[in-house]
Amino acid sequence: MFSQNAILKRTIPIFVQTASAHRKPRWLPVAKSKIYRIPKRPVISEDEKKELLRLHNNYRTQMRAIKRFYFDELVKEMASKQSATSEMSQRLEAEEWLRCVELNDKWNAQVALDREERRKQEVAAMEEYTLARMEAKDKELKARIEKASEKIREEKELSKSFITPETLDAAIDHAIANPTDYNFAIDLKGNKYMGRDTPTVPPKEEKVAAAASN
Amino acid sequence: MSIVLPPSSGIGRCYAKAAKSIRLIRHGCTNRPFYHISVIHRKRPNSLPVIEQLGSYDPMPNINNEKLVALNFERLKYWLGKGAHVTNPVGELLGLAGFFPIHPRSYMTAWRNRQTERENLAKQEAENQEKAATS
Repeated sequence: MFSQNAILKRTIPIFVQTASAHRKPRWLPVAKSKIYRIPKRPVISEDEKKELLRLHNNYRTQMRAIKRFYFDELVKEMASKQSATSEMSQRLEAEEWLRCVELNDKWNAQVALDREERRKQEVAAMEEYTLARMEAKDKELKARIEKASEKIREEKELSKSFITPETLDAAIDHAIANPTDYNFAIDLKGNKYMGRDTPTVPPKEEKVAAAASN
Repeated sequence: MSIVLPPSSGIGRCYAKAAKSIRLIRHGCTNRPFYHISVIHRKRPNSLPVIEQLGSYDPMPNINNEKLVALNFERLKYWLGKGAHVTNPVGELLGLAGFFPIHPRSYMTAWRNRQTERENLAKQEAENQEKAATS
């Protein structure tokens, strides 16, 4: 009857309560233990019965009158509603309508004024915001250009010491004429101790040379 | 999944010529009765959507020992004008509210309660006398 998915996901209430079924089904027989049970009848005394009858009679009479009254009331109301289409009521309705329209126009005008003011404020705020943004953008762009030009200037300064094909020979000559010796020791105070106590040729090369001579 | 109950606000189909009934419809849960006073077709079970709800009745006394009833008299008058039948419990409530004459059942319960109270009192008196006699 239902799909498996519907049952698993509980999209359909599976246990649908049937109200007003408070007793066992009609087709079930009387229980064995209750077959010979005779329900006890309530005992109402004669006086009570008479009194109840009197009360009920009164009540029914009064209720009938009340119901009749409300029925008449409803009929009268309906009749008055139907007669409301007369000329007088139409005129009254038209007047009421005019008054309503006038009031509505007044409110609309007020609302329009308010709206105009609000729009103006909004536009001003928007302009301010846009200008501020544009200014900030300009500032940023200027800063970037400044930074770039600064870098270019620095590079130009540095490019004076660059080795070009023209100055290559002079640079080589200068390097050969001024050899730099990095074989020094340094102490904690930054004093250099020049000099060399060990051979300049690495020991491996020496070994190779000795092997070759042998 | 909770049981889906019809809304109490009245979405039931209303057939103009069918007999209507103003009755209590139980909306509480187990051991906590709560009733709506609703208009519904006379032959319909209470589990179906009602035509209109006219009020509510809470039969359990609250902390101030009050049983609260709410009623929409305007609509009640309308439905009475339409010829709706009023069930006994609702009639009793309306009688106590002063909208209808007091229902005979209210009188009956009252005098029966008084009777049982009298009997209980007499029994207690007899017991007390017996105690006094023995001691």
